[in-house]
Amino acid sequence: MADKKDVWQGTLALMVLKTLESMGPQHGYGLARRIEQTSGDLLQLNYGTLYPALLKLEQEGYIRSRWGTSENNRKAKFYELTKPGQRQVRRATADWEQTTEILSRFLTPASE
Amino acid sequence: MNSLRAKIRASWMRLIGFLHRRPAEEDFSAELEAHIAMHTDDGLRAGLSPAEARRQALIRLGGAEQVLQLHREQRLSLWIESIARDVRYGFRTLAKHPSVTAIAILSIGLGIGANATIFSMVNRFVLRPAPMGDPTTLLALHTTRQGDRCCNSFSLPLFQDLRDQAKSFSGIAAYYELVPASIGGSGEPERVWGQAVTTNFFDVTQLHMVLGRGFATGEEKAPAIVLSSGLWRRRFNSDPNITGRSVQLSGKTFTVVGVAPPAFHGADQILYTEFWVPLGEVAQLVPGLSDQGSRDFHIVDVLGRLRAGASRDQASAELKAITQRLAKEYPKTDKGTSIVFEQAGSLPSNIRGPVLLFFTALTVVVLLVLAIAGANVANLLFAQATVRQRDMAVRLALGATRSRLRRQLILESVLLGLGGGVLGVALSLLSTRALSALHLPAPVPIDVRIGEDWRVLLFAFGLSVLSGVLLGLGPAFAMSHSRLPDALKGEDAFIRPGRRVSLRSVLVVAQIAMSVILLCLTGLFLRSLKSASSIDIGFRSQGLLMLSVDPRVHGYNADQTAQFLELARQRIAALPGVDAAVGTDVALLSYGHRSDAFSAVGEPNNQTNQTNTDLYMVTPGYFALMGIPRIMGRDFGGESASGPRNAVVNRAFVDRLFPHKNPIGQLVSGGGVTYQIIGITGNVKSRSLGEDLRPVLFRSLQQSIAGDPSLMGYTLLLHISRNPAALQAAVRRQIHELDPTMAIYNEETMEDHVRTAYFLPRLAATLFGVFGGIGIILAAVGLYGVMSYTVSRRTREIGIRIAMGARPGTVERLILRQTLVLTVLAVALGWPAAWLLAKMASSFLYGIEPHDPVTFAVVPPFLIAIALAACWLPARRAASIDPMQALRTE
Repeated sequence: MADKKDVWQGTLALMVLKTLESMGPQHGYGLARRIEQTSGDLLQLNYGTLYPALLKLEQEGYIRSRWGTSENNRKAKFYELTKPGQRQVRRATADWEQTTEILSRFLTPASE
Repeated sequence: MNSLRAKIRASWMRLIGFLHRRPAEEDFSAELEAHIAMHTDDGLRAGLSPAEARRQALIRLGGAEQVLQLHREQRLSLWIESIARDVRYGFRTLAKHPSVTAIAILSIGLGIGANATIFSMVNRFVLRPAPMGDPTTLLALHTTRQGDRCCNSFSLPLFQDLRDQAKSFSGIAAYYELVPASIGGSGEPERVWGQAVTTNFFDVTQLHMVLGRGFATGEEKAPAIVLSSGLWRRRFNSDPNITGRSVQLSGKTFTVVGVAPPAFHGADQILYTEFWVPLGEVAQLVPGLSDQGSRDFHIVDVLGRLRAGASRDQASAELKAITQRLAKEYPKTDKGTSIVFEQAGSLPSNIRGPVLLFFTALTVVVLLVLAIAGANVANLLFAQATVRQRDMAVRLALGATRSRLRRQLILESVLLGLGGGVLGVALSLLSTRALSALHLPAPVPIDVRIGEDWRVLLFAFGLSVLSGVLLGLGPAFAMSHSRLPDALKGEDAFIRPGRRVSLRSVLVVAQIAMSVILLCLTGLFLRSLKSASSIDIGFRSQGLLMLSVDPRVHGYNADQTAQFLELARQRIAALPGVDAAVGTDVALLSYGHRSDAFSAVGEPNNQTNQTNTDLYMVTPGYFALMGIPRIMGRDFGGESASGPRNAVVNRAFVDRLFPHKNPIGQLVSGGGVTYQIIGITGNVKSRSLGEDLRPVLFRSLQQSIAGDPSLMGYTLLLHISRNPAALQAAVRRQIHELDPTMAIYNEETMEDHVRTAYFLPRLAATLFGVFGGIGIILAAVGLYGVMSYTVSRRTREIGIRIAMGARPGTVERLILRQTLVLTVLAVALGWPAAWLLAKMASSFLYGIEPHDPVTFAVVPPFLIAIALAACWLPARRAASIDPMQALRTE
């Protein structure tokens, strides 16, 4: 159970970082919708878990936040990537790619 | 400049954010609210009703309250986690360099131990309130006479007037300060000291009795007694049914009504008294208190409890009005008398000045010790920081922020500080125990036990954290300014090209300068002890044994007492191993006892013709036994109790009253008694070692015991030719054969007795000696460290020098010269400071000037010698550098 959550949180963090990298500054709700869209609506994100994850990323110094105005003229908190955050995206992406590659070798039938 | 301000602001905001959790909480609530609003907007756009849209938004969020909670946990967990991680990492780093860690903890521990010890003393004598109910409203009252120094006691009528008239007090109690008595119970009878108090004493002091109660109204003359917890435990085995039982006090029967709380030993915190009886009983226990009703007989001390709402100013004004009224009513006795007060249990105002000064001097010294220790540790940490530059640079390059590294470094030094604090508290526990065991040279019971309480622990903790933070600041600051590329390459990034004075040298100079001050003070006190030990006390201390008895408290009258003493003296003198035995009231060097103003009979009796004289009662043979030289006339012998009074006086007395006359046969009078001088002796130290010459008058014990009985009891002095320990039992047996219930006290050799008289110079010399020793060792270690570091840093340079033909001697001189420059600079700074500070110590020095030429001449060369010795090893190492190897390194 705890393992599952950890994996999920790890991937959520990468999704957030990646989304911020491609979209630029974004507020929490926007991030959540964008992640769902990107996943082709395969992911049902529990919005409640997104905010602690954002806070953690902020505490780690990968993202920073400030209050701004949304496209619909609502006050909202916007998150954006920091320099260490950009490095982290690259590192985590590479890690993840390696992991999936290794896993896929196990999962796809061996072609000897 | 701007960025620094921004940083300070950021840190400030972070601190605020931590202290007030609200803003972060509110901030996140607002964020969630925005999230829900945006989600609801989308729902509306999709055609949902407003209520349904909001419901959907909340469902997807998983409940606003739960999210808030998750967020809160995340905020807290990271903070705790990162601190925990830093602490773990800190411990690992410290454990990786055990020798550095050990030296640092030892240094800080010594420094904090010294500070905690002195603070314990300050706490005990200055800060700690007396163990009585609400110390802030309990005042100790004193009378002062116009033109006299504070403070005097009250006459009984004055106290009664005050009690009846003063409205700003809810209660005023009086007590007679010291009542000697012998007490029964288990074992041999014991001599104890107590106080006689008014019946409201325990109400005014608001003491919560361990057992029973205080005195009740109507018990003014009742034979009732309150025991201290210690006495109850010692003499009555903590008997829970003690109340209502009778105990024997000086041969009279008293009924126990209560047991006082353990911490309470009297209202002032110096005297150590162990029982309390009603004031009406005092005449039964203390002789010579018959005319209690007289207004010029000052016998009681007074405590007042301020009424709720009354201020000290009000009380002061009211007391002033009352004394003015009384001065008119009783002009003869009360004119010029005023009343002052202070919080009860604070130091008596007549000794507060010197005591505070002594503590200030000690505090300066221990702070110096801590500063020297701190400089040492700072140097060590700098050296370590240099070694760790690469490690830090790597962490920086991997994305750690500089502030994070700074925090890490400061945390490490705080851990060191706390380690030192724990060691320091342990050391101060040992030292305060040693200090508590010291004997004060006084015949009355004095409480100098020093304990550690929460104040001391808090002080030590604060000091540990503070020194930890201060120590960490230097390396942390240097670290955050180190140049990354250099550090990564493994070069020393702290070295600024062209900078000649390193911070480490500054620290060492400061350290040595402080050692100069410390050593000068230490030298002064050591010299003072030496000069004190060469003070001529005027009598012999070897081969004498003394012990005291007080037959009066066992119900003997004056004649019986004299008879008992004479019998005991004869029996003891007949013991094998005892060459002679004499009696006296109180031994010399016991901080004084009886004194009176004396003048020559026939001279006009005014201030200039009077001399304040210490009085001692002796039996014939006293001077020979004590080795006090007789200069003229004869010893006592053949005096009868009722005959004309004879006296033997010392040279100081003669110089004062009969500078140009033959004093033998002259009549002098003091205290209402006239004596004829029959002999003159050499001068003796009467009260304390440090005193100037005092006039002393010896009178015949036979003749004076009835008219002026001693409160301190009587002392037998034996000249012995054997080991005193072997004799003591036999001597005790002789006394107990005369009276098995007689309490024997103050049993010691004259040598021990005189040694306790050296209490102050010895205490000062010991404390300063220990602190000075610690300081100089720390400074030497610090210098050694810095020079070693210099040598290791200059290895290549020295290698080149040697390769170019420099001889080992030249290289050694190079290093020694650098040490010498630093040391001479430090001495030049420290010496004048020591010269200024020495003035402060002047009132504690015996027989030497504060600017003692020997001390101030010896300290600088001594320190330079120590410094050269400390850098001898590094210099040797430099001289033995192999040029080939040195050049190949790196």
